[in-house]
Amino acid sequence: MLELRPILSALWRHKISALLIAVQLGLTLAIVGNATVVIQERIERIARPTGVAVTDIVTAQFMPIAKNYDRLEAFRLDLDMIRQLPGVAAATVSRAPLTGGGSGTGLYTAPNQEIGATGGAQFWGDEHLIDALGMKLVAGRAFTPNDITEASFSSGWRPNMAIVTQQLADKLFANGEALGQSIYFSGEDNPIEIVGIVERNLGPWPNSHNAGSTVFFPAVMDTQWFDYVVRAEPGQREAVAKLLEEKLAERDPQRVVAVNLLEDKLDRYYAGDNTMIQVLSGVVSMLTFIVALGIVGLTVFWITQRQKQIGVRRALGASRSAISRYFLLENLMIATTGIVLGTAAAQIFNRFLASEFEQPALPLSTTAICALILFGISLAAALVPALRAANISPAMATRSV
Amino acid sequence: MLKMHNVRKSYRTDTIETHALRDFSLEVNEGEFVSVTGPSGSGKTTFLNIAGLLETPTGGQYLLDGQDVSDLNDRDRSRLRNEKIGFIFQGFNLIPDLDLFDNIDVPLRYRGFNAKERKKRIEKVLEQVGLSARARHLPAQLSGGQQQRVAIARALAGEPRFLLADEPTGNLDSLMARQVMELLEFINEWGTTIVMVTHDPDLARRAHRNIQIVDGQVADLRLQSALGEAVTA
Amino acid sequence: MLGYYISLALRSLRRTPVLSALMVAAIAVGVGAAMTTLTLNYMMSRNALEHKDDVLYALQLDNWDPHEADDNPSAMPWQVTYKDAISLLRSDIPTHQVAMHRWGGPISLDPSQNSGGEMRPFTAEARVTSRDFFALFDIPFLYGGSWQGDADTSPVQQIVLSESTNNKLFNGENSVGRTVNFSGTPFTVVGVIEHWQPSPKVHDLNNGSFNKSAEIFLPFGLHRSFEIYPWGNTNGWKPEDINSYEDQLGSEYVWIQYWVQLDSDEQRERYREYLTGFIREQKAQGRFPRPLKFGLSKPSEWLQLNEVVDGDDRMLNWLSLAFLLVCLVNAVALLLAKFLRKAAEAGVRRALGASRKAVFSQHLVESGCIGLAGGLIGILLTLAGLALVRQLQMGYLDTVASMDWLMMLSAIGLAILSSLLAGLYPAWRISRTNPSIYLKTQ
Ligand SMILES: Nc1ncnc2c1ncn2[C@@H]1O[C@H](COP(=O)(O)OP(=O)(O)O)[C@@H](O)[C@H]1O
Ligand SMILES: [Mg+2]
Repeated sequence: MLELRPILSALWRHKISALLIAVQLGLTLAIVGNATVVIQERIERIARPTGVAVTDIVTAQFMPIAKNYDRLEAFRLDLDMIRQLPGVAAATVSRAPLTGGGSGTGLYTAPNQEIGATGGAQFWGDEHLIDALGMKLVAGRAFTPNDITEASFSSGWRPNMAIVTQQLADKLFANGEALGQSIYFSGEDNPIEIVGIVERNLGPWPNSHNAGSTVFFPAVMDTQWFDYVVRAEPGQREAVAKLLEEKLAERDPQRVVAVNLLEDKLDRYYAGDNTMIQVLSGVVSMLTFIVALGIVGLTVFWITQRQKQIGVRRALGASRSAISRYFLLENLMIATTGIVLGTAAAQIFNRFLASEFEQPALPLSTTAICALILFGISLAAALVPALRAANISPAMATRSV
Repeated sequence: MLKMHNVRKSYRTDTIETHALRDFSLEVNEGEFVSVTGPSGSGKTTFLNIAGLLETPTGGQYLLDGQDVSDLNDRDRSRLRNEKIGFIFQGFNLIPDLDLFDNIDVPLRYRGFNAKERKKRIEKVLEQVGLSARARHLPAQLSGGQQQRVAIARALAGEPRFLLADEPTGNLDSLMARQVMELLEFINEWGTTIVMVTHDPDLARRAHRNIQIVDGQVADLRLQSALGEAVTA
Repeated sequence: MLGYYISLALRSLRRTPVLSALMVAAIAVGVGAAMTTLTLNYMMSRNALEHKDDVLYALQLDNWDPHEADDNPSAMPWQVTYKDAISLLRSDIPTHQVAMHRWGGPISLDPSQNSGGEMRPFTAEARVTSRDFFALFDIPFLYGGSWQGDADTSPVQQIVLSESTNNKLFNGENSVGRTVNFSGTPFTVVGVIEHWQPSPKVHDLNNGSFNKSAEIFLPFGLHRSFEIYPWGNTNGWKPEDINSYEDQLGSEYVWIQYWVQLDSDEQRERYREYLTGFIREQKAQGRFPRPLKFGLSKPSEWLQLNEVVDGDDRMLNWLSLAFLLVCLVNAVALLLAKFLRKAAEAGVRRALGASRKAVFSQHLVESGCIGLAGGLIGILLTLAGLALVRQLQMGYLDTVASMDWLMMLSAIGLAILSSLLAGLYPAWRISRTNPSIYLKTQ
């Protein structure tokens, strides 16, 4: 027996209190819904495959103390030494991707172009590059020792071949036949042949809109900006890192050496996104908790206020379940109002966030799921006090309060 | 002391308009003890509420100590209520969270007395109602008669010149009722004007004057005395 | 009367401990969340150069691609080219001017002084800058001063140390005149500055607005002898053949940060004319292909332009304010419930002479007490929140994720304000209710 009318009229008399709970639920839905899409988007972004063996790679740099230092010579000697170390699967000298530092370039599919470049991140490395980064070659070939040049940025050297990521290949050549084609730098006519395609590499800036468009050139660059990229055998990276630190200092003590795990650098790169995820999750759970407590508090309060009334109803023959049902129905009506308000508020809030802060759009399905969960929480919060209300004795009617 | 002329009070609800008082005229003199009787719903409480400045009349004139109080603002009405008027209710209306001392303290706080003065007065009235030993008890720890004595003490603490009592004995047994009545008579002898609503004809007769309210108006005096005799008979 | 209200409030709160705790918790959590993000945003938008905001200007020149403007809110490159910096340094209009960039290298004690070899070399974060740097940014010296006059143009091997570097190398002694070894070259210490860590690092927003500032300072005249490539962004738009370091210095690459101090309107006007003339001259030589444009931004404008407080931060700000709003609505609902339960008592008080205002005040004080308690706990939650942010940000925000006194007071203020706002309606409601209703027995 649904007795909606008396509930509605009782609620109407407490309309402000009821409305306050509904508004609270509505605002919560608006916040939780929007926080959820942001969290989802960030989690997906962080979980994207990088195309690189992140968990196995150790990076090392050194800074020579002497002013005129032969870096190329040091690279040769260090790499020979590193490749002999136990636990090392592959090593090269390049720049580690995924760290937030690197360089970009514009590429063209025809010579002497200056407008309409396809942007990509660029790396230089030797024949061990693909192996050392743990990338997967999907077409063509890797660099061979004969392809590699020793060069510097001020030497005027230009590559004649390149390996690109599948994403960059597809962007440059929409017909899907990038392999064997030539690409060009801005305003130049030096052809660079695509000799290989790797599955994926998110490049130096995984959060940039262009991440994943990456090109590799066959060279060992004489620059301050280099990393030894060392891929350890699975589970060996800590040991390898320690060895590297030791052996690099040992081979030439006249330099300052820094060794890092690539995963740490990536974590650091994603620190902002991680903060967002954690803070928003915290906000969502605290908010839900507060609202649930609020509902419990108010339901308990209303019930104590109506103790005598409940006693009278029981004395007049209402069953226990009828009493519980009354309060649950009451809560249901408030929650429904709140959810309706909240769905609208969530959309409005989302428009604002999307236009101001470039946040993802809030799909109706996410709102619906959040609404359902909040609905459940609201009912659960009312359940305990409602069940307790059923325990109020009919004798309450005769006792004076 | 109190003079009402053609006072009207009507309550509007969604559907109907209730005329609780209609052309209600009455005069109460300084030092009088007036009892008010009448059937339930006739407007007795409404009259007391207006007399005690808890409610404003819909129309008519009300003079308290010669001052027209019909259109005073809330602050001035509250001050008059605090200084001149004491209330006693059928339901006692003590504040359950406060002990006796603090309950009596309430009107004195609003009067703005200092701590010493308040303490002196509270102790004095507690003495008068014979509950000095119970100063730190909560209302729930007292019997009905004791609670009503505390309520009287609270009403007296500000030394009001005008005491309004709405069925003060309605919730008490006859022994307790008599004790309360004696207390009121004692207070009246010391100069406080009292208007008391009651259903008890014995108590009503003990007042200097009895007025009867029927249907929101003071009933005809002759009819009233005849009724009084009928009750006696 | 206030004392009386406070004692009544405490009594009332003790009567309903669970409901009171709920309200305090709601306000504390709301305030904690709001204050955490507000504090971050406040600390991030501080201007360390506030006191010189009227006279300092970050300079931008638009030497960019004729086909498209640089892709940032100012539509001009953030930095200038080396050759423009060198030309501009010759102007005698600004009171002070600074051309600079970030760099670094291994530093150690001079071998002769590092007798036991106990001091291992370490990589020091450097700022390569013209000599007015310290005067322009008002950086006090602990010992010594800036390097000699010709150091902006010739390779003078002099160095200024930060206080912490001086502590590390020389145990905090006056090291002026001593020698350190930087990148295998001896440098004479000419000065040690006092601790200087503006946050955000307004003078260098290209390299992490909240990173540590430099540990050593080197003269601007060293470029050729060390072939210095900056540790920071180098941006270009023009395809250029770079075949030597000289090509790099003569290129259209931008990598130099440039600041000027202009004290008077007249000076500013003259400098604008000078810049206009300079760009015209360059245009005549085929450079600066875009419409004539330059930028002079005050420190406060510079911070805005560089979006030091990024989208995520501002979004969290909004979100936490919405959060606080929910907590407030929660508190309103609970307070309303609590007050209405005591309506009968309020009726008795009214009968005993309390005015509406008195009843209103009494209940507002009660809300205020809840707010105060909420605020104090809120501060603790804020401190916890900031600690969490420091940890999640892995040190990046250490300098800003902390609370000063102003923010603590604001937290309490916010809590009390919130709870008074929350208490306003319930207190008004109860002061309006007709006392006679509650005095009836049935
Ligand atoms: N707040 C109110 N709203 C509507 N009607 C009221 C209200 N208070 C009293 N009344 C009506 O006014 C009439 C007089 O009531 P009251 O003065 O309480 O009578 P009594 O003589 O029993 O004390 C009654 O008919 C009652 O229903
Ligand atoms: Mg009555």
